[in-house]
Amino acid sequence: MTSNKKSRFARFPLLATALLAIGVIGSAHAEVPARFYWKSLTGGSAVPLIVESISGNANPFDPSHLVSDDANFDATLALAGYAQTFSLLDRPAMAAILFPMGRISGEARAVNGASVSQSASGFGDPTLELNVNIIGPKPQVDIPGAMRYEPGFSLDLLADLAVPIGEYDSKQSLNLGQNRWYGRIGAPMIMQLGAWVPGRRTTLELLPAVWLFGDNNDFVGRNLQTDPLLQIDAHLTRDFTANLWGSVDGSWYKGGKATIDGVAGSDRNDVTLGFTLGYTINSNIGLTASYRSTINDSAPGDMRMDSFMMTLVFGWHPLIEGFGRLKE
Amino acid sequence: MKTATLSVIAATMATLLCAPASAQAETPRKRPNIVVILGDDLGYADLGAFGSEIKTPNIDALARDGVRFTNFYTHASSSPTRSTLLTGIDTHRNGMGNMDEWIAPNQRGVDGYEGYLRPGIPTLPEVLKNAGYHTYMVGKWHMGKAPDLIPRARGFERDFSLLDGAGSYWDMTNFTAASPKSVFTEDGKYLSKLPDDYYATKTYTDKMISFIDANRADGKPFFAYVAHQAPHDPYHLPKDWRNRHVGEYDKGWDAVRQERLQRQIELGIQPAGTELSERMWFVPDPIVLAPISRAMMGKKMELYAGLVENLDHHVGRLVDHLKKIGEYDNTIFLVFGDNGAEGTDLFDMIAGSPGSRDYLFSAINWSQTHPNSWGDPGSYPAYGPMWAQVSMTPFSQYKGWMAEGGIRNGLIVSGPAVQRTKGSINHGVMHVADIMPTMMDIAGASYPRVGDDKKAPALMGKSWAPMLAGQSESPRTEQDYLAWEVFGNRAVRQGEWKIRWQYKPYGTESWELYNLANDPAERKNLAAANPDKVKAMTALWDRYVQENNVILPNRSPYETLEDVMPPRVPDDKAFPPLIYRKQFVPPQDMMADPKP
Repeated sequence: MTSNKKSRFARFPLLATALLAIGVIGSAHAEVPARFYWKSLTGGSAVPLIVESISGNANPFDPSHLVSDDANFDATLALAGYAQTFSLLDRPAMAAILFPMGRISGEARAVNGASVSQSASGFGDPTLELNVNIIGPKPQVDIPGAMRYEPGFSLDLLADLAVPIGEYDSKQSLNLGQNRWYGRIGAPMIMQLGAWVPGRRTTLELLPAVWLFGDNNDFVGRNLQTDPLLQIDAHLTRDFTANLWGSVDGSWYKGGKATIDGVAGSDRNDVTLGFTLGYTINSNIGLTASYRSTINDSAPGDMRMDSFMMTLVFGWHPLIEGFGRLKE
Repeated sequence: MKTATLSVIAATMATLLCAPASAQAETPRKRPNIVVILGDDLGYADLGAFGSEIKTPNIDALARDGVRFTNFYTHASSSPTRSTLLTGIDTHRNGMGNMDEWIAPNQRGVDGYEGYLRPGIPTLPEVLKNAGYHTYMVGKWHMGKAPDLIPRARGFERDFSLLDGAGSYWDMTNFTAASPKSVFTEDGKYLSKLPDDYYATKTYTDKMISFIDANRADGKPFFAYVAHQAPHDPYHLPKDWRNRHVGEYDKGWDAVRQERLQRQIELGIQPAGTELSERMWFVPDPIVLAPISRAMMGKKMELYAGLVENLDHHVGRLVDHLKKIGEYDNTIFLVFGDNGAEGTDLFDMIAGSPGSRDYLFSAINWSQTHPNSWGDPGSYPAYGPMWAQVSMTPFSQYKGWMAEGGIRNGLIVSGPAVQRTKGSINHGVMHVADIMPTMMDIAGASYPRVGDDKKAPALMGKSWAPMLAGQSESPRTEQDYLAWEVFGNRAVRQGEWKIRWQYKPYGTESWELYNLANDPAERKNLAAANPDKVKAMTALWDRYVQENNVILPNRSPYETLEDVMPPRVPDDKAFPPLIYRKQFVPPQDMMADPKP
């Protein structure tokens, strides 16, 4: 009797796995993995590491995804960051900062129309994110609160801001930094479908958002303006076991017309489909692997991009770490 | 002549005046229906009418319409109570001298220790059926599975029955690899599967309503034995009943026990000044537990409360139906639990250790251990000894043991036989064996003879009919006594005195003596100070053994308990001070920063 009870208790610090939900901020596609907005214990921290291999005809470091006709880029991208969960006005909240870095090379069309080889490497624009829940469970201020967490229907408000201090070479169109302020306002939603039991959790997650861009006054010597861009991400996720889950991912981008020195381009209207597998290694470490690709990309002006992405998130909470030390 | 003339006139007038009344009196009044609602492991203090915070408005309404009994005794475990309820005969004679699951080597083959209800012993449904009643049963049987032992063979015309002692509420999954499937019967046939929308408490209620309706036209009274599986573990319950008490039990078992006792005193269930029994020595003081521990354990109690409320909801459906069809006012209800609340971790006992056959079975069938899965098929939530003590407030111990927490239960009786003040409380000493003679009295039934000249075994109970009619306060005198034995634990009660013998460490493996009038929580063992009383009561025990062929088991589920449990120590409040002493706060005016 006693031993059984102990074992059941011992499992509970595994609630810390929820910590792994935090910390992965926007990928180069301006998309986050499924289950990103699940809430966890307040006071938790996480360090995400994202590595992505991307090819296509738009700069993955630029969330407006300005398409260069006939261009062909290959990029290796890494992002590292830090995230913290807390309670704001008695609502669950998360703040994060993410630093993109990596290298990109490929054939791009120069402003004069010529095709040129370009490459860039270094750090991109760091991004700040604040996410505050509006509808849904109260903050998980203690472990009982974490134990009772079930998202039901939850709705957040999200604000991202990228700070234009990344590597930027005004002589070329391909850069890691974007030389302009930009950000996003969104409303992440989670709809719990069925039981909230590890091994059986199913969710439908939506992220409608609008990206807003400042002007880049030195885009190869010209002025680049970008209209607001609507983004809708959707994920249907399902546990396969208590630790293994998968999702079908889709996204739709609409708008974001670029204008260079008064010459307007066209709106984006592209759809991406993909899938993700996630695995929780232990109470601290979670891993995901994803692939996604644009599907309506046959015309020359369509955005064409596909990527493999691996994320590793290390999360921790002082209380959970203390439990871990006592168990040793 | 004059006198004769007057007499004729008087007689004529009397005849005229009384004619309607006489005609009415000659119309036989329909005998009352009888509904016995049995909760499985339902605790003494789990109903609102007995001081619980659990919301049981439908059963409470029966209590308001009837009488609550505070000194009602069952047995310490399931099938012994059920067999006594349905026969009125002592367990050591009716076949349940031990539970089927625990028959000891020295009891095997002995009459009275079959582990099932012995064929040939008259049952309440048989007696009532012979007296013109319809007899229906739904729910847990637990008194035999062979064709000659099932409800249909023992007097029930219609039944929908779980023959096992417990199982899933959702399906036919049972607990061991050797017996993986629960066995059900419906109208005497063994079921190959369950109805599509099966959920135990709901289905049992639906079936009982359909049985009652099916024969309603013939106008005969009915006996309905509603032997619910709830709230026996595992606490399986529909999702919308699981979250009605979120966080309410995080305060811990001591606080809830104290609150229940306070309400019991206010209601008149217990007298002012009643003490709580000791917190079991191996149960922690919830004050010293971390919030997560209290929340985890509290969640189990949340589920239990939801399960009891769901049970009450379905009792309400049955009551409402009887009101709708006009039978409520002519129906006697009896509501009680079959023994003390369950404090033993049955799942741990059943699942065994890694490497065992049953552990493998549990890994496949009973491994939904996450708290969010509790209540689902495949989960086995049970609330443990700490909450079992709450369910048995203010008594000591729980199911399986002979402390009051094992054998005393709350009883509600309502209906036409009850002439006492509605909503009143009675403290007379009563026993589950009394139900057979009481119902026979009410139904006008007679006890049959068995065989040629061989009388059926003597009924051990006493009819409550005079007491329900308000003619007495108790069916028992101060000289009458009750006795119990199961698993080797034993007890005798006579008047306000009780002796009990229990395995260590719950007992002392010697006779203990308690005065229940002064000490219902059995805190003060008076044996050493009252050797004559112990002697007199052990003589009653010897008599009971002799008259009922009691064979103490040479093996018991409790035989090695002392070896595996923490040593028993008193539950001295706030000991040790080491973990209770609060932070010292110096006087503010003496506080200072360190000098440079």
